[in-house]
Amino acid sequence: MITVSVASGKGGAGKTSLSAAIAERLGAACVFADCDVDAANGAIALGAAGTKSEPYFAGPGFEIDPAACTSCGACQAACRFGAIERTNGSFRVAPELCERCGACLSRCPAKAIRSYEKQAGELLVSDSRLGMRIVHAELEPGEDTSGKLVALVRRRAAELAGDDAVIVVDAPPGIGCPVIASITGCDLVVVVVEASASGVRDAARLVELVGSMRRRAMAIVNKSGLNQAMDDAARTMLKEAGIPVAGEIPFDPALRSVEESNRTWASLDCKAATRIRSALGAVDGAIGALKEKR
Amino acid sequence: MSDAGTTVIAVASGKGGTGKTTVAAHLAIAGARGRPTMLVDLDVEAPDASGYFKGAGRSGDASEVSVLVPRLVEARCTGCGLCAKACRFGAILAIGGVITIDPKVCKGCGACVNACPAAALEEIPMTVGQTSSFDADGLAILEGRMAIGDIRSTVVIEAAKKRAAESGAALQIRDCPPGVSCPATHAIEGADYVVLVAEPTEFSIHDLGAAVRLARGRGVPAGVVINKDGFGDADIAGFCEREGIPVIGRIAFKRERAASGAAAEPWSDDAAISGEIDAILALAADGARTDGGLR
Repeated sequence: MITVSVASGKGGAGKTSLSAAIAERLGAACVFADCDVDAANGAIALGAAGTKSEPYFAGPGFEIDPAACTSCGACQAACRFGAIERTNGSFRVAPELCERCGACLSRCPAKAIRSYEKQAGELLVSDSRLGMRIVHAELEPGEDTSGKLVALVRRRAAELAGDDAVIVVDAPPGIGCPVIASITGCDLVVVVVEASASGVRDAARLVELVGSMRRRAMAIVNKSGLNQAMDDAARTMLKEAGIPVAGEIPFDPALRSVEESNRTWASLDCKAATRIRSALGAVDGAIGALKEKR
Repeated sequence: MSDAGTTVIAVASGKGGTGKTTVAAHLAIAGARGRPTMLVDLDVEAPDASGYFKGAGRSGDASEVSVLVPRLVEARCTGCGLCAKACRFGAILAIGGVITIDPKVCKGCGACVNACPAAALEEIPMTVGQTSSFDADGLAILEGRMAIGDIRSTVVIEAAKKRAAESGAALQIRDCPPGVSCPATHAIEGADYVVLVAEPTEFSIHDLGAAVRLARGRGVPAGVVINKDGFGDADIAGFCEREGIPVIGRIAFKRERAASGAAAEPWSDDAAISGEIDAILALAADGARTDGGLR
């Protein structure tokens, strides 16, 4: 089993479009793991159908029983996240600020705090019109623990994948907890670099993270040709980081609405199509080399 | 709600790359013409707002953001393992009476310290990021930046929010992170109004739906700006109508605007845009004052 994670640092750089295209070329032999669990678009890109859902529980949250609470304030003093609010003399846990550490629970002398489990989202498995299975998730807006849900998506994808299958991970933006969970243990990170000031800066932060996690990486520069200086900045950053470039994809408004046309970037006819196929071919080559090494 | 006398407008989106930072930077520029304004970059994993202000200089020192993490005093440790049992984040392992602490996954809650009967854990600060302030021709910029490899983005977001509140700026424009998970939740918490930036694609509609639910769940009024209008065919306005959320502005897609955006150059010579931005700011400020818009 080989895992390829597609990440970018910046949002909107083209992760989902490119990971869906990589998956289309691999066909039924791959499993697509959409790890952008709080903005999941892989199912749209790949035409998901026959979706099966199971509830996702994030772990215990805490609440104060007003009948048992003596309003002593020990919980508020114990909480370092400002998650215990006092209104009109009574205390309550603000779930959006609660880090689920349980410090309040152990400090309450009246045993007025109890833990509860609440559904925080759904884990989904779908078929795709392109033949592969899609593992995806919908985190309830405002819930935390996205990293935990990412790990769950990846575990389910691994269960569904055969020994010689490839798992294509569509990572979330940023460089935080769910991104680290999306990259951990993968065989190759495809870094999508948007050829813009922020795209290059954010990708550079991701590249540093990938390096510290000792993952192999290759890059695709996307939306090039809008500004020569930004194209050069992307190339320079990748060269200095020692990351090979699979290809460059020019900015082309025709690429915007692929998801509406039920196709991926792998099967397009537009100005950028040749460049896209060449970049995807280089990624295929890298995956093939990884398979041979096994 | 923010303190009286301060208006806090959060710019968020669900989907990344719809134009949050661009809209936030332009709202801040427009706001700064009329009142003391601070642009607060809460996208701490990918902070890019200051990039729009090439001439901005640092004002004041960067401030380290840290959490208190436990350190074992081995001479006092009895190896009982109660600390590991108290930690809900898997940051402490107790194997055969040997305690191992991984400070990188510690949230700094202090549960282990409270649980230790031998007072064998002391707490030391660990840097998780920093906040920096800049000045761009009278516009104050405050940036939160999480350290690479860290996972405690919300700690940095809260530190930046606190520092912004202390600034006393009459208007705060927050550039929020993408998604609808904990970083986005912390970033919109305490705002008076949320400007949701969408683009006319199916991906954006899907993620806007989640962002609308987040704003609604937090009880913050919200309106939608359709950025890159005309770029795709997805019907954002129809979605907003069905959801009962006002469209407070449209920014038409033009290749030259995309090119300026790529270089992080403000659309300063674009008269059509500046009128639109002023109108969005007025509607957002009005929504903040009257608690209007999506509820």
